[in-house]
Amino acid sequence: MNTTSASIRLDAVSKSYDGRVMAVDDVTLDIQPGEFFSLLGPSGCGKTTTLRMIAGFESVDRGRVVVGGTDITDVPVHKRDMGMVFQSYALFPHRTVAENVAFGLRMRALPKAEITERVKAALALVELTGYEDRRPGQLSGGQQQRVALARATVIRPPVLLCDEPLGALDRKLRQQMQFELKQLQKQLGVTLVFVTHDQEEALAMSDRIAVMNAGRIEQIGTPAEIYERPKTRFVADFIGEINLFDGVGSSASAIRPEKVVIGAPGNGGLPGRIETANFLGGHTLYRVTADDGRQILVKETNIGDRPTRAIGEPVALSWDPADMVQLEG
Amino acid sequence: MSARRFDAGRAGYFALNGAIVTFLLAPIAIVAVFAVNPTPYISFPPVGVTLRWFEKFFSSEDFMNALWLSLQVAVAVLVLSMLIGAACALALARGNLPGARVLTAFFMSPLMLPAILTGLALFQIYLLAGIGRPVWGLIMGHTLVAVPYVLRTTLAVLHNFDRRIEEAAAILGASPVRIFFEVTLPLIRPGVVAGGIFAFIVSFDQFPISLFLVLPKGETLPVVLFNYMKFDLDGAIAAASMVSIVMAISVVLLLEKLIGLKAYVKL
Repeated sequence: MNTTSASIRLDAVSKSYDGRVMAVDDVTLDIQPGEFFSLLGPSGCGKTTTLRMIAGFESVDRGRVVVGGTDITDVPVHKRDMGMVFQSYALFPHRTVAENVAFGLRMRALPKAEITERVKAALALVELTGYEDRRPGQLSGGQQQRVALARATVIRPPVLLCDEPLGALDRKLRQQMQFELKQLQKQLGVTLVFVTHDQEEALAMSDRIAVMNAGRIEQIGTPAEIYERPKTRFVADFIGEINLFDGVGSSASAIRPEKVVIGAPGNGGLPGRIETANFLGGHTLYRVTADDGRQILVKETNIGDRPTRAIGEPVALSWDPADMVQLEG
Repeated sequence: MSARRFDAGRAGYFALNGAIVTFLLAPIAIVAVFAVNPTPYISFPPVGVTLRWFEKFFSSEDFMNALWLSLQVAVAVLVLSMLIGAACALALARGNLPGARVLTAFFMSPLMLPAILTGLALFQIYLLAGIGRPVWGLIMGHTLVAVPYVLRTTLAVLHNFDRRIEEAAAILGASPVRIFFEVTLPLIRPGVVAGGIFAFIVSFDQFPISLFLVLPKGETLPVVLFNYMKFDLDGAIAAASMVSIVMAISVVLLLEKLIGLKAYVKL
């Protein structure tokens, strides 16, 4: 449907608000056309600032922003031709749903008939046909979210920017919108940059993820790479649960709880005792205190009618050395 | 729960509200009674109903000239104070001005000074500057005390303004000028108009400042009424008051109908 999706390149981009603390520090990114790319990190890590620099809301102190091969570092916001969905939706409260969606088309001075046609199609795509004449204040959060999506995509932007767009929704609606957004993105073929602090959301939706911390990129990779092969202690710790073992100096090794196997004691492995057991439905999370004093999390899938292990039960832990990842920093 | 049960809290609530409304509206009711009472002096109780005081008011050239001048001045003040007040509010809320707080207090200060002092000060300045007492000088004086009302109401709206809405317009392709007219202005309009209504009424009812700045034969309605009362105290005064009240209410209703205050209350 849309064949004009654009690549995005951030070339050594930096930004500081007070001249001392770097909000974004030497960030280089290459986002492919049509890619679902997430910027993931805790609040204050610079992910939103990075997104706002792509949009043009924030100026760039150093570095270049290149979209579709064109350097847009100095292009004002309204000439960047991007779609954006805000966390607060930022709908125009004084305009109807249809007028909200038509806004970008009107700014492009398209013929009236085409605007009507495209607004209709965009609202149909987000399943809001029949809501044309409502005002945003009369819609639920999920519906406002869809209007925001329709408004941002109806202009057929080569790039769609999303700043925690699902953050204000409750859990169930959020999961549903994750599927819908992902589907819409593939359908439109648009390059999507998605800012979130929710690692599950990033893992579920993204083609690739950049994990950010303190204004810098810690690691860029596919969700599987980020999860299975974290490069730094920060990434390992931020994404999911992990057992960290300090090594020499600043190095460390780590293993995911589900990669650890609980066996009977006496057959080798690391001996220890079950400390706590959290039954979580599909799996049980055990905390095991090894005889050498280390605490290790183990995730055991609940299959068959395996009973939950008793507190204090002696066990031996083992794992495939290939599952142990080496971390730096 | 029975709806008929006597509820002391509820009864107290209505009694208090009734007392407040009575306190606020009783003077108007009394003026209305005097306006139709045929006795040649203001007296109570009324002895009948007549429209002669309204006739006297509307057929008097002095009253009509004054009413017309007051209306013209009030409309000019309405427009000027909305323009100045809204511009000021935008600059103070958005402009990153150094000392914005001090400036806000400065712009609000005409409200804190007794208007009679402001009138006297303006009179002396105009005299020193050799301006005399032209109508535009009177309009300026009224605008001075009317702007704070618009400033206050507009600042309140701007304080709750989600600037992401303007950013959304920008990324959709709206230039800064278009953003202002398509988004910012419509969203602050309820605040500006609400302030403008106050501005109109402040000007239309303005007495102390006008007292210093009008010329004989070029007086506004409140000044004419004051002078009239010094010699005559008949129903024409009450009739004029009724006309003033009706005029003020009409402007409020007209603005509400034309521009709409309720439509955007939920921002």
